[in-house]
Amino acid sequence: MSNWALAATLVFVLVTMLLSIKRKLGLEKEIAVGTVRAALQLFLIGYVLHFVFDTRNPALIVVIIAGMITVAAFNAGKRADRIPGIRLRIGATLLVTESLTMGLLLSLRIIEATPQYIIPVSGIIIGSSMIVAGLFLSAMTRELEAARGEIEALLSLGATTRQALRHSARRAVRSSMIPTFDGMKTVGLVQLPGMMTGMIVAGAEPIEAVRYQILIMFVLSASAAITAILLGTVSARLWFTAEGMLRRTGKQA
Amino acid sequence: MTALLTIEGLRKQRPDEPDRSLFSDMTAEIAAGDRVALLGGSGQGKSTLLRIIALLEAADGGRLLLGGKEPRAYAEPKEWRRQACYVAQQPVMLPGSVEDNLRAASGLHGTPFDEALARRLMDAVGLADIGWRRAAADLSGGEKQRTALVRALLLKPRLLLLDEVTASLDPGSKDAVEALLDTWSAREGAACLWVTHDLDQAERQCRTVWFMAEGRLLEVAEADVFFRGPATEQGRRFVRPDAEGRTAGRAEAAADKKPAASLGAGSEGGARA
Repeated sequence: MSNWALAATLVFVLVTMLLSIKRKLGLEKEIAVGTVRAALQLFLIGYVLHFVFDTRNPALIVVIIAGMITVAAFNAGKRADRIPGIRLRIGATLLVTESLTMGLLLSLRIIEATPQYIIPVSGIIIGSSMIVAGLFLSAMTRELEAARGEIEALLSLGATTRQALRHSARRAVRSSMIPTFDGMKTVGLVQLPGMMTGMIVAGAEPIEAVRYQILIMFVLSASAAITAILLGTVSARLWFTAEGMLRRTGKQA
Repeated sequence: MTALLTIEGLRKQRPDEPDRSLFSDMTAEIAAGDRVALLGGSGQGKSTLLRIIALLEAADGGRLLLGGKEPRAYAEPKEWRRQACYVAQQPVMLPGSVEDNLRAASGLHGTPFDEALARRLMDAVGLADIGWRRAAADLSGGEKQRTALVRALLLKPRLLLLDEVTASLDPGSKDAVEALLDTWSAREGAACLWVTHDLDQAERQCRTVWFMAEGRLLEVAEADVFFRGPATEQGRRFVRPDAEGRTAGRAEAAADKKPAASLGAGSEGGARA
């Protein structure tokens, strides 16, 4: 892609900006910051990857993945920032999800153990798991208000915190996994996923691109399940105070 | 003898105005098998007090002891809650059938389900004909309230924290529930702390009255003494008969039964000096 073509893509930003001004959406600052950040962050990671691919040092792969997990944990944790210790649990969950899925991909020799494969696939796994974690936390926050009566009825009957939360956690796990499976049902019909599109644009055979996309979709379904269930388990105690009372997560008087 | 429940200097702030107390300096005891009516106008924090005793809400000061032990002396909060069970004013059915609800306590604690007892209790509250396979969510308000009470009794707690549990019942069902609680208390030795706006019920059912007003526990008295003549002016205003021969508290109870009726200014505001 030539520099001219890259610069010309700013026309899309311009269109967005004009629409925002014309419709008085007040998003101009957001658009400008988003544009600059996206470009800078992508170039930065591009140069980092260039360096990592050249040096082929496994420690650098670990550092990059750790960085991805940290940022993802902080980002997803915003959905439940009244719950102390939630970011640590999200980070641990993402680490286990990444280790299990990447471990299987490498040990079954599905992908090559090179930075060119490990880093982009890890990015997709961690990014998708971050969204699942965020959805789970939003669903739990809603559940804790909507199902408060049910949870307290169970506590009153002498349930443990885990028992009291079981129905709510199950509903939250389900609702955080559904978008992943809905995506699997419509992929190729409604949207062509980014990775596949990228490979085709870069000159790969469409069938080869499809093979990789299938791999990614299946890995993402597993990572969604692992993330949602594991986060549901490790976060269970956090929804209660040290005295075992259900926390208030929503806005309250 | 150690009291079953001891409340020492309990204090709770208003959630909307943290510098003001909802109640403070609350000190009282309940002995095993005692039946206490918790009375007072609306907004005095009666339900909040029950929820604090049930460890569903935190107090802002003071101490609670159940069986002589503070909550933190119990291995887990559930050990406390198994003994001091809160039955909410708005009954919540757990997901599933009526039977799932009745089996809740035994399921949670891995104890055998006493089906014969459950049938006797359902019979006693007038729900003998309710199908146990019915979805609990489909029951009427009164049926839910009685099912929730039976579900709590099957836990066999030492202290029942009853929050207006007969508020949505017809007179016949209310009598049945009162009779059951009478028998249950005598048989199991369970104590009750009963929030009610129905002063006739309080007089019939309870040996002791705790009267809350002005953010404090103003009176702790035997029920017949309290109803004969409260020691405080606020208590007298609460139970004094009006021109129609009803007490202010009784007038409030009557107003409570009308679904759309407003509570107005509460018992004290509606009472005459």
